[in-house]
Amino acid sequence: MIGAVKPTIVENTMKNDVILQVQDLSIVYQTPRGDVMATTDVSFDLRKGETMALIGESGSGKTTLSLSFIRMLPNSARVTKGKILYSRDGVTRDILEMSDNEIRRFRWSDCAMVFQGAQNAFNPVLRVRQQFADTAAAHGKTDKAWIKQRTLELFKLVRLDPERVYEAYPHEMSGGMRQRSLLALGVLLDPQIVILDEPTTALDILTQRAIIDVLKEMQQRLNFSIIFISHDLALAAEMASRVATVYAGEIVEEGSVEDIFYRHRHPYTLGLIRSVPRLSRQQDELMSIPGEPPNLITPPSGCKFHPRCMFASDKCKVDPPPLVEYEPGHRAACWHTDKVAAARIAFAAQD
Amino acid sequence: MATHTPTAPALEAAPVPSFHLLDYLRRFYANYTVRTIFKALVTIWAVITFTFFLIRLMPGNPVEVYVDFLMNQQNMTYDEAYSRAASQFRFDPDASPVTQYVEYMGHLLQGDLGESITSSGTRVIDQIARFLPWTIFSVGLGLLISFTLGATLGTIMAYKRNTFIDHTLSLISSILSAVPNYIWGLMILIIFGVQLRWFNVGELRGTYSPTMTPGFTLEFLGDVLKHAMLPVLVYVTGSIGGWMLNMRNSTIGTLGEDYVGVARARGLTSSRILLAYVGRNASLPMFTLLAINIGFIIGGSVIIEELFVYKGIGSFLYWSISQRDYTSMQGVFLIITISVVVSNLMADLLYSRLDPRVRVSGEK
Ligand SMILES: Nc1ncnc2c1ncn2[C@@H]1O[C@H](COP(=O)(O)OP(=O)(O)OP(=O)(O)O)[C@@H](O)[C@H]1O
Ligand SMILES: [Mg+2]
Repeated sequence: MIGAVKPTIVENTMKNDVILQVQDLSIVYQTPRGDVMATTDVSFDLRKGETMALIGESGSGKTTLSLSFIRMLPNSARVTKGKILYSRDGVTRDILEMSDNEIRRFRWSDCAMVFQGAQNAFNPVLRVRQQFADTAAAHGKTDKAWIKQRTLELFKLVRLDPERVYEAYPHEMSGGMRQRSLLALGVLLDPQIVILDEPTTALDILTQRAIIDVLKEMQQRLNFSIIFISHDLALAAEMASRVATVYAGEIVEEGSVEDIFYRHRHPYTLGLIRSVPRLSRQQDELMSIPGEPPNLITPPSGCKFHPRCMFASDKCKVDPPPLVEYEPGHRAACWHTDKVAAARIAFAAQD
Repeated sequence: MATHTPTAPALEAAPVPSFHLLDYLRRFYANYTVRTIFKALVTIWAVITFTFFLIRLMPGNPVEVYVDFLMNQQNMTYDEAYSRAASQFRFDPDASPVTQYVEYMGHLLQGDLGESITSSGTRVIDQIARFLPWTIFSVGLGLLISFTLGATLGTIMAYKRNTFIDHTLSLISSILSAVPNYIWGLMILIIFGVQLRWFNVGELRGTYSPTMTPGFTLEFLGDVLKHAMLPVLVYVTGSIGGWMLNMRNSTIGTLGEDYVGVARARGLTSSRILLAYVGRNASLPMFTLLAINIGFIIGGSVIIEELFVYKGIGSFLYWSISQRDYTSMQGVFLIITISVVVSNLMADLLYSRLDPRVRVSGEK
């Protein structure tokens, strides 16, 4: 089927290899205390086959953002602005405009998601293979032989013993085995995008390692794009080709892994990276970001980071800084990128 | 204190044979089926024994009740009435309860429930066989209706939680389950039977009309349903609220489970999610409750059957109690005990069929 029909190009503003384009996306949660602005004016592109990491403190809005891509936001959430354009085979659609049935089919076959802390991602009363078959059937694939072959193949790919897992119930597997099965299930339908929201937090360090290896191998073979959310910056750096720093619902810096880890220009990115303990660094040299993440019901004026920022000036309290491109593909939203760069160099000299 | 050294060899030698026996018994008891049957038998024996003495501690005995009846209704003197009663009943009120117990248990072990005390010549087992099916039919039908309807409504409430529908149904189910079912029975009788005269209460007495010949004809079945209608309605009214609330809470819990969210993210259709992911898991505790409730079929029917003059085992028990017909009461209690024990077993069995997580010990 692939290549048999030359896809007709519907008016496509997206660059060739961009499969997901988020434009000025804003999301609020309506709560009795007021609207929580969980995502504000977020824009970014995701290219075919690349891994984009979202880093940021707890509550910065990473999960909210990724849930919106498969339209699985809780009922209290409203998308107040923006577009999420998705492109496959030359056809571009706004995910937010899809009908209920279209979005159902889009889920998993185009974009699979491994949820944060989903310890019980499998229905306890159905065998794992039945849940693979269910997923295939929901997307019109009912050829039993094909499903079985594909399932066994994927179990092998995630380094599970296919014969053993095939007939197993979820409770008969360990947490790590379940996580691998879930990754296998994630790519069952050959999605273009796989969202991984802290896929390894509940696992021990060796199992984490194994899963990361499996992920990389799967990605190489199947060439899907990954949106990778993690609090573990080392892991993010290892997995990702690009990184976006999220603060208070905004992308404050975005760039290649090298841009973000070695040439960061936003004080929040600096703070995140300096707060990671390293063997070569003394404990008292660790820098933590002072203060608390802001209240998203009444966020600070100007730059939302200014109350916690050591470079903040009067301008920062009034004017929100725009996201400016400093090098190709490297954007940051800060009035004092020069000072941040200088501080970064000073710190590097210390280490 | 004895010194240890000389006795040591003897201590080592002595326990060996008894250790083997104990070990053997323990292993035998560890077998699931053996243990289950053993527990069931002990339960049944304990209840029989307990009720045997309990009912004989109730004030009055069959002879006294009949004597009272004869003196009041037929103006006999006490002596006349007593000699009549004594000659009619094969029951000696002065025999020691222990002797009676030994005799009763002896018969019971041979599968003999004995004869009714107050209507001599009638075997208790025949009475039970005559009345029990009607109760199983009417209460069972009520249970089935209220379970399916309650589970369905409960699921709807959970899906529409905190909406008008949910609030209304919650209120209704709370009211339904707060009022005892015999109050509903009385209200139905008084409002629809006496005040509104929607049906003729007199005609609906019994399990079927006296003019009918029993058989598998549509006419007879229709008549049977008509007579069972009111008791069934009361059983449903009295229990549906509980099913609704249980299912609602269970479903709300299940809807919050990870696997339901993941199933949505997998693009499954909502009907598949409802049946195989939400319903299947949410109803697990419901089936256990259902099986346990089957055990209470007889106990729950006594007042309702009496109220609607429905000749089932419940009204038979009521009658036996009022006559102090010890053997009949004892027979019904035995049936109640057996059905509670069996239904609890069924609950276990059913649960392990439905939930793979508890199937482990049963298999292999
Ligand atoms: N259902 C909800 N109702 C109201 N507010 C919500 C809801 N879910 C999230 N929020 C708020 O939205 C903001 C972003 O939450 P989100 O879960 O996206 O953060 P996160 O970056 O994924 O955090 P973590 O790293 O802890 O997973 C937080 O301030 C949170 O309090
Ligand atoms: Mg999160």
